[in-house]
Amino acid sequence: MSDRPKRAARAIKLNMLDEPKDSYTGGKSSLCPGCGHDQISNVIITAAWENGIEPHRVAKMSGIGCSSKTPAYYLGQSHGFNTVHGRMPSVTTGAYSVNKDLLYIGVSGDGDSASIGIGQLIHAIRRNMDMVYIIENNGVYGLTKGQYSATADIGSKKKKGAPNETQPIDLCALAINLGCSFVARSFSGSKKQLGSLLKAAMSHKGFALIDVISPCVTFNNNDESMRSYGYVKDNEITLHMTDYIPHFNPVQEVEVPEGHFTDITLHDGSTIRLETISAEHDPGNAVAALTALHEAEMNKKHVTGLLYFDSSKPSLAEDMDLVDTPLVDVPDTVLRPSKDTLDKINAVLHS
Amino acid sequence: METIANDFTINIATANGTGSQSANLILLQSLFEMGVPVSGKNMFPSNISGLPTWYIVRLSNHGYQAPGNRTHIQVLVNPATWHEDLESLEPGSVVIWNENAKMEMTRDDIISYPIPMSKLARTINPKIAKLVTNIIYVGVLAEILGIDQDELEAAVAKQFKGKATAIELNITALGLGRDYFKENLTKSDPYVVEKRPIEKPQFFIEGNEAAALGCIYGGVQMLAWYPITPSSSLAEGIINYIPQLRTDDDGKVTCAVVQAEDELAAAGMVLGAGWAGGRGMTATSGPGISLMQEFIGLGYFAEIPSVFWDVVRVGPSTGLPTRTQQSDITMLYEGSHGDTQHIVLIPGTVEECFEYGWRTFDYAERFQTPIFVLSDLDLGMNRWACDGFEYPDQPMDRGKVVRDRDMFEAFEEFGRYLDVDGDGIPYRTLPGSGMDPILYRGTGHNTKGQYSEKPHDYYDLMMRLRRKIDGARDELPAPIIREEKECQVGIIYLGSMENTIQEIDDLLEETGIKVSQCRVRALPMHSEIENFIRRHEVTVVLEINRDGQLYGILRKELPNELIPKVLSVAYSDGIPPRAKIYFERILEVLKEVGK
Repeated sequence: MSDRPKRAARAIKLNMLDEPKDSYTGGKSSLCPGCGHDQISNVIITAAWENGIEPHRVAKMSGIGCSSKTPAYYLGQSHGFNTVHGRMPSVTTGAYSVNKDLLYIGVSGDGDSASIGIGQLIHAIRRNMDMVYIIENNGVYGLTKGQYSATADIGSKKKKGAPNETQPIDLCALAINLGCSFVARSFSGSKKQLGSLLKAAMSHKGFALIDVISPCVTFNNNDESMRSYGYVKDNEITLHMTDYIPHFNPVQEVEVPEGHFTDITLHDGSTIRLETISAEHDPGNAVAALTALHEAEMNKKHVTGLLYFDSSKPSLAEDMDLVDTPLVDVPDTVLRPSKDTLDKINAVLHS
Repeated sequence: METIANDFTINIATANGTGSQSANLILLQSLFEMGVPVSGKNMFPSNISGLPTWYIVRLSNHGYQAPGNRTHIQVLVNPATWHEDLESLEPGSVVIWNENAKMEMTRDDIISYPIPMSKLARTINPKIAKLVTNIIYVGVLAEILGIDQDELEAAVAKQFKGKATAIELNITALGLGRDYFKENLTKSDPYVVEKRPIEKPQFFIEGNEAAALGCIYGGVQMLAWYPITPSSSLAEGIINYIPQLRTDDDGKVTCAVVQAEDELAAAGMVLGAGWAGGRGMTATSGPGISLMQEFIGLGYFAEIPSVFWDVVRVGPSTGLPTRTQQSDITMLYEGSHGDTQHIVLIPGTVEECFEYGWRTFDYAERFQTPIFVLSDLDLGMNRWACDGFEYPDQPMDRGKVVRDRDMFEAFEEFGRYLDVDGDGIPYRTLPGSGMDPILYRGTGHNTKGQYSEKPHDYYDLMMRLRRKIDGARDELPAPIIREEKECQVGIIYLGSMENTIQEIDDLLEETGIKVSQCRVRALPMHSEIENFIRRHEVTVVLEINRDGQLYGILRKELPNELIPKVLSVAYSDGIPPRAKIYFERILEVLKEVGK
């Protein structure tokens, strides 16, 4: 951590584990230059570094799509699994069942999460599995060259072709209705807000969903789209800038005081105004959170911040009554009951 | 009249949901305890209550386990199938029928025993008369055949463990059936039951329960499942054994259970557990395997230990959900898109269900790939005589896992998909271990696990995968071979056909054809199978499906010169294999080649 005086003088900043930020980086991105997803990758790197997470204790999970390629671009010292389209939650559930002590960071897209994999997302939320679930939401299918996704707004228009006329699915509203224990929305350009949310999500015991509006520079960046840079820049409203970390000490103060705003410069040179407009918003109040989402939708705006939070729900590992030791570390001699027990079973069956 | 002892078939026609299953199991259990070689087959509908159900009890001096080729004694309780059941009987058959069913006895060439079953049942308790009716026919059968009262009562006690009221009620009802026959009718049929000394102690158990127990002893760490007939009782068997066998003093368990949202998710969870270093499994049936195809390919390509039990039912589509078949052989062996090949274990007995229960996990981790077990409804859901289960004779094989730095440093070069030992099986590291990480993927990859579309990377990977699975042939359970000296005709068969094969063999022998038997117990097929074919003049591949799926695999893999020596007999109508049907078809194909 940078607050240790003896470290302060050194050229390379180290975190609380004496690790430089380089220990958290990954391979070179192959996404389009300027892609919002790369910014999210950078925020993941920073958040993991600042939170002092041991890289090898992280499992990077993803499905299929532009977003799901990104685990190659961050946390190069962590194991990962780039699974199949929309099915990352089930693979994570299996891994989590046998090793509940890893930090699972899932990255998904709107194709993955709002269409093919919406069932698995719903059931992972229902089980309250401990994981961070980031949706890099751009309203389009990028890898297949720009078809509308299920989060595309009505009326949004591709560069070519007919406008979208099907109503979008709001994954945050869905998650809140399902009783998801941590629901947030952010913007890929809002590094600080996203970073704070991510750090909180990483410390959350339960399912933490962060829907990140991440404009597609190639296929969904015309001004009519509610997920273009221009649109979001002008229409974003923000709930609390959060830094709520229930199981961990915060490593960074929130910089935006209530009632103030700040302009953040995006990678493409534009700026975004982040406001803490709703100091009254109680993240424990699902009705208020849904109201905020619906009002924002009516006004064609995005409300960002921590929308809903409930730390009281038991996580999946608790529900399953697993032994304290992660199952992968339980010795074979314990996993296989003794010969004696089988002799007894045979005797009972013979009786 | 000459008596026929312990060698006849009883067919009991009832409606499901009326408690007939309990009554039938009491009958079966009491015969079993008398030392009579007996088997029971439940032909139940995909329904909760009210549809026709048949239970076939076969007594066989030869120990034949297949449903008989004809019915000798018909119990008629269900009006819905009354005429159909009556018409199918051979003259001289015995019919025990419910006089109160408001149905006519339309046959006069049979031995008729009318019993006022409903009326008798109502004398005990009118409210549960339907339930009691079933136990009354068991009492009648006991009287006609001479089943020991003591064994009947012991079977009742076993069926209703500790429930005093139920035990008393059933014993009273048995008595009513017995007494009615004694007082009102005269035995005029030849069928009797004779007590036999019990040579070796055995018990009855369903294949699914045996498998569940085997999985528990295999150290299963995660079960993900989605309910589907006929596999649900396998998953539920595991769940039922966890409190006894996999729970510590604080009530905490060493096996996670997730009831998944669908079979796709169940497969994903199994892969997730295997990826993280655990022993994960699922139990499903054909429709579930159809849904899992995408993940099966991922498991093969990314090389993830995983275990899938397929308790096969009749397909295609929803098919006949409560009937049996061996129709998923090809789907399991070549599951998912692209070039694939999978290891499939094929149990034929309840002892093997137990053994493969633990062994599959060893294979999965040794070969780092999905392992399938092909069971079926007949083996999984019917009760079979069992000698007892043998404890695993070797410690768990956790495969090639680099668990510490020293082991890691010993590699000249490390790559997740590098074939260091020349057997096609690479070394892996586990998440969380601190050993070199990789990003697993279903996309093309090089020996380091990095994304690659290079032609030689893809080609080398696919050839290594083939070497790995092909190389497993002789490490998997070898075929069980019973060979005749003459080596004229060989029969290759698999799985639950084990229960019919000896009867088929005997029928063929009666016509002068001596056949050798070879039971395939795993895919890819052991090299002994090719040798078996080579030694025999002609070999028939016998299977319970339409298309001859195992035959198809053999044709693809055998050297060309052997193919003309191999013939196919494939037949399936949903009913467990009856010897006569297969016998006749074997004769037909042998005739075609001049045998």
